[in-house]
Amino acid sequence: MNYLIDIFLISLSAAIINNFIFYYFVGCCPFIGVSRRVDMAFGMGCAVTFVITIAAFLSWGITTMVLMPGAPLSSFIAGFFVSKESAATVDLIALSYIVYIFAIAFSVQFVEMYMRKFFPALYKSFGVFLPLITTNCAILFACLTIMSNVAGVENPADAWDLGRSLVFSFFGGVGFTIAIVIMAGIREELDLCDIPEPFKGAAITLIIGGIISLAFMGFTGVDSGIRNAITPVQEAAMLESVVPVQTAMVEPNLQQKIRGIND
Amino acid sequence: MIEITIGIAAITMFGMAVIMSYILGWANIKFHVEVDERVESVLEVLPGANCGGCGYLGCSEYAVAIATENAPVNRCPVGGENCAIQIASIMGVDVGKSVPSRPVIHCGANLKDRLGRTEYKGESRCAAANLVAGIQGCTFGCLGFGDCVIACKYDAMHIVEGLATVDYNKCIGCGACVKACPRSIISMADFNEDKIPSVLCSNMDKGKDVTTVCNRGCIGCKACVKVTDLFSMERDLARSNHSLYVSEQEGAALEAAKKCPSNCIGFVGRNPG
Repeated sequence: MNYLIDIFLISLSAAIINNFIFYYFVGCCPFIGVSRRVDMAFGMGCAVTFVITIAAFLSWGITTMVLMPGAPLSSFIAGFFVSKESAATVDLIALSYIVYIFAIAFSVQFVEMYMRKFFPALYKSFGVFLPLITTNCAILFACLTIMSNVAGVENPADAWDLGRSLVFSFFGGVGFTIAIVIMAGIREELDLCDIPEPFKGAAITLIIGGIISLAFMGFTGVDSGIRNAITPVQEAAMLESVVPVQTAMVEPNLQQKIRGIND
Repeated sequence: MIEITIGIAAITMFGMAVIMSYILGWANIKFHVEVDERVESVLEVLPGANCGGCGYLGCSEYAVAIATENAPVNRCPVGGENCAIQIASIMGVDVGKSVPSRPVIHCGANLKDRLGRTEYKGESRCAAANLVAGIQGCTFGCLGFGDCVIACKYDAMHIVEGLATVDYNKCIGCGACVKACPRSIISMADFNEDKIPSVLCSNMDKGKDVTTVCNRGCIGCKACVKVTDLFSMERDLARSNHSLYVSEQEGAALEAAKKCPSNCIGFVGRNPG
């Protein structure tokens, strides 16, 4: 039950509350560049969701198998040279950035080849966007978030498993799609509006993006509210350690105050 | 211990590179798609200016159209005849006749020839000036604010004495100026020779009205039409049939130009050499 609540809250937070674009401001380049028409924006969102999930799968696997301290593969190799205890301390987290970019580029290449062979129509409609995803920071951001939730937690029991990682990245992609489709819908209407010359194009898009971002701020705290509502009081103390990503950003005092008011 | 960490980092990167390149190499063979190699070789021949003069979105789209949809090979205005021959040899088809298409400005009156001009203090763009009446007597002729100059990406358009002129040595025939002119006095013409005769007027009014607004306007006297069939009448304006002209008709064209009472037939085109 706790696991299901966790999954539900992670997906809700990745898609809406801590939307990649409106909360973290990653992936703004395609958000401005490809949000001219709704169908193109939806295609881009689908491509990002697709690639982000595959990249999350790869990066979760690499992090748990190779990069983090005590990972099976790296400590197995180190075991040939040093004692078992010190082999378990080999820490390759410093490699994470370059390895993730490696993995993302690989998965984009692979997906491109696969689609070209089996879905030529889809491949043609994506066009140049698919290779562009390689350098999309939203995907690297998802990988790094997964890394910090797998290797960066104090208590190993809190570390995200594969299911949580995949749900987080998939719904992060869904949130990206929601954001870019909203923007494209507004921009289609903007074409009919009388916009002052200096604001035309990217300028008005950035302003509108800021206003939507403010509106999305209204979702803040929805996840901890839901958690409090569906978790019995005694279990809430137990769950204290399993803090979802987003509430970890809030300063502890404030969190306590909010709790106090709710109680 | 640090050596071990560095060593394992190197092994990790190397191992990832080997595994991923192996998978990609396998996928490359497994998911191989037959691509028409003629597209690539046609694309190499095309100049890569991406001007859109051929009517397609860019050079690569034109190359695909040539290879797959049997598009005509002589549509590229930048590469010209040389390019068309090379594409034709790749595709194994006949070139067809490739004649460069260049803009002709149908107005020959510079600033002092255009009468009835008043001071204009609005935005200095033809599109804006064309909205208000009375800036000059002639409602057909060149306004001289240079929307075509702004539209031209190849520095081939200039305003000389208040009149738009084409530098045919720089022009590649993309047609951007034709679209930019709010009075539609620029049209594309087939240049069979380096220089072709053309009627340098667009005024369709009756002769009497034309002479009150311009010193060089076509008055519709039909003198040129009687000399040669290179010219024909459209309402009260002589039109030149550019595509009919070949170098043997130079004499007739010169005679027609001499007979024109308002001196509005001229030769346009690039200087040889």
